[in-house]
Amino acid sequence: MIHEMGDKAFEATFVSAPAPLNPGLGPIFNNVSCASCHIADGRGKPPLNSSEPLSAMLIRVSIPGVASNGGPLAVPGFGVQLQQRSINGVAKEADVIINYSEQTFSFPDGETYSLRTPTYQLANSYIPLPAGVMLSPRMAPPVFGLGLLEAVDESEILKFADENDANGDGISGKPNYVWNVLAGTRTLGRFGWKANNPTVLQQTAGAYNEDMGITSYVFPAESSKGQTQYDNRNDDPEIPDSVLRAVSFYVQTLAVPVRRSADDATVLQGKKLFNDAKCGSCHRPAMQTGVRVDFPEVSNQRIFPYTDLLLHDMGEGLADHRPDFDANGNEWRTAPLWGIGLTQKVNGHNFYLHDGRSTFAAGSNFMAWR
Amino acid sequence: MQFRFILFSLASVLVLSSCKKDKSNSDDYSSTQILNDFSVNVAQATYNDLASKTEQLHQAITNFTQNQTQANLDNCKSLWKQSRQAWEQSEGFLFGPVATDDIDPRIDTWPVDFNSLDSVLNNQSVYDEAYVNSLEDALKGFHPVEYLLWGVDGNKTIAQFTSRQLDYLEALAANLKTLTQQVASSWTTGNYHNEFANAGNGSQVFTTQHAAFMEMVSAMAGICEEVADGKMEDPLVSQNAMLEESPFAKNSIIDFTNNIKSVENVYLGKYTSQGQSLESFVRANNLSLDGSIKTKISAAITALGNITVPFGQAIFTQQTQVINAQNAIRDLKSVLENDLANLVSQKIQ
Repeated sequence: MIHEMGDKAFEATFVSAPAPLNPGLGPIFNNVSCASCHIADGRGKPPLNSSEPLSAMLIRVSIPGVASNGGPLAVPGFGVQLQQRSINGVAKEADVIINYSEQTFSFPDGETYSLRTPTYQLANSYIPLPAGVMLSPRMAPPVFGLGLLEAVDESEILKFADENDANGDGISGKPNYVWNVLAGTRTLGRFGWKANNPTVLQQTAGAYNEDMGITSYVFPAESSKGQTQYDNRNDDPEIPDSVLRAVSFYVQTLAVPVRRSADDATVLQGKKLFNDAKCGSCHRPAMQTGVRVDFPEVSNQRIFPYTDLLLHDMGEGLADHRPDFDANGNEWRTAPLWGIGLTQKVNGHNFYLHDGRSTFAAGSNFMAWR
Repeated sequence: MQFRFILFSLASVLVLSSCKKDKSNSDDYSSTQILNDFSVNVAQATYNDLASKTEQLHQAITNFTQNQTQANLDNCKSLWKQSRQAWEQSEGFLFGPVATDDIDPRIDTWPVDFNSLDSVLNNQSVYDEAYVNSLEDALKGFHPVEYLLWGVDGNKTIAQFTSRQLDYLEALAANLKTLTQQVASSWTTGNYHNEFANAGNGSQVFTTQHAAFMEMVSAMAGICEEVADGKMEDPLVSQNAMLEESPFAKNSIIDFTNNIKSVENVYLGKYTSQGQSLESFVRANNLSLDGSIKTKISAAITALGNITVPFGQAIFTQQTQVINAQNAIRDLKSVLENDLANLVSQKIQ
């Protein structure tokens, strides 16, 4: 019942206030509903060229330095996230223009694959941007199975942390400790491309606040507060606590797609290659969720998320050069791979990674069943 | 209505536990033919009709902007309703490019953003298709057209149309026409017909025929849930007529009925012409299930017909009829997502 309530709220389109239904959008925002980025609860599609607007993607921004909570230092007048849309009569923060250069690479056996390297430009900013602004693009990830990942005990995750590669296997998993708003302290991050969010509730409230301009009890101030776009309306929080909790519960209890064609010969070949290449050193196949007496739906289960929820140095090629709590500019969280084989069917594309640059899922034959 | 993983997961569990071989040509149907015929006779036929109706709507609105007679206004309203009928009859198969390419929200976002609409009508921009296309989804598609044609109380007079509204209406209708053409061509000249018809046979989207069949079944059950537990439930439970979806034209019950007719169309494989369909498949395997599905479809349509006042009023004065209709639609949903899904999982690989 609460799941269904959350499902409906997840799809609700917000409009500018005052309005009889779903008021509070903006004044500046990235999108108008949860479902308009997380289409069919799935993976967002990046713009295909410089003329397409951003839809299921956003840009985090900051300047060098560290905020008092240990996180990224806000760009004065812009905050830590760029809103490239606005309600009528209000200035958006800036336009984002993406250009891609396509590069082709070859496997040792001669088969080729291509990677697109994006570059980002900000234009038409409402006030001048300071020098040295760091940008980090973030695609909307799928939103299923998050309650299970949240229910994994911290010790189960830290067991695989090996920040200085003490065991010499070439893999250095590192936990991120990030600001937990309700706890008022830093706790282990699990969600987001840099594991920069500690809980599903905070992730959800953050998306309402920064992505849609909707205030809640977790983030009661508009993202535009202090800027010229601020609405000065006395209507915060704009969604009731029950709606925020229902949406959070919806995401926490959204089931993971069941594996398909697990005994198919091609799939088994992919599985062998996945294992031989040691993909599973970071994309850990299995984990156990902790005992959660208060939340039996996710309690004490063996799950197969194909992630360690830890940060890894992905090198200069993928770096955003923007630190996010303990994650440096080269580090990204291992993305869960469960359900990835359904991207084409559910979302009609095959673009992966934090910025959607990859058009090729390595090991895709194997992952087709996940 | 969005595709939901929960529904899909249940179905997938079923197929793992009950895989059976069935090439099905020995019966009265071919699963390959059913997929092909759904694409041609339902998806393409519905979307082509939608694109043709919105083209006529655009023409009618153009005529009205040039000559504001009552007859021209009535013609616009009539064509809005005809276009709306084709669209609602497509919502029983809301999958493929209409969903993945984000076209659905541009055609049918609810609610309308009245503040932004006012500010657009008061600005100095030149309205054309490209301008409308650049606006937020809550300012384009069916509902802003409906609002501008009927007015907030449903009784707008010709004298109340401003020239800015007329210009905006024409650009809106042009945009709606373009979007519906886009949906139609995604199935016809685009690749989606091949992806669907060749499921399990080289399709990138549907690696098995089972997946394509389940896409249809999930979409049919999905729209039932959307109507009974969303479009009808929200205004009823909160006793708030502002939550109704097509309030200006008072078209909500017709919308709901067309949604159920869309389920029927998918089942029968028919918009105008008919080939092989889920019906052929069910009749070959389980005659009583075929009877049950048809009975529940007509029970749902009848129950909606028993609501005799506009929906925004019925939530106060005909609650029994509203609840009866919701329950009839829930019954239909149940037979689709349980019995029909089970049968598909037993017989289609």
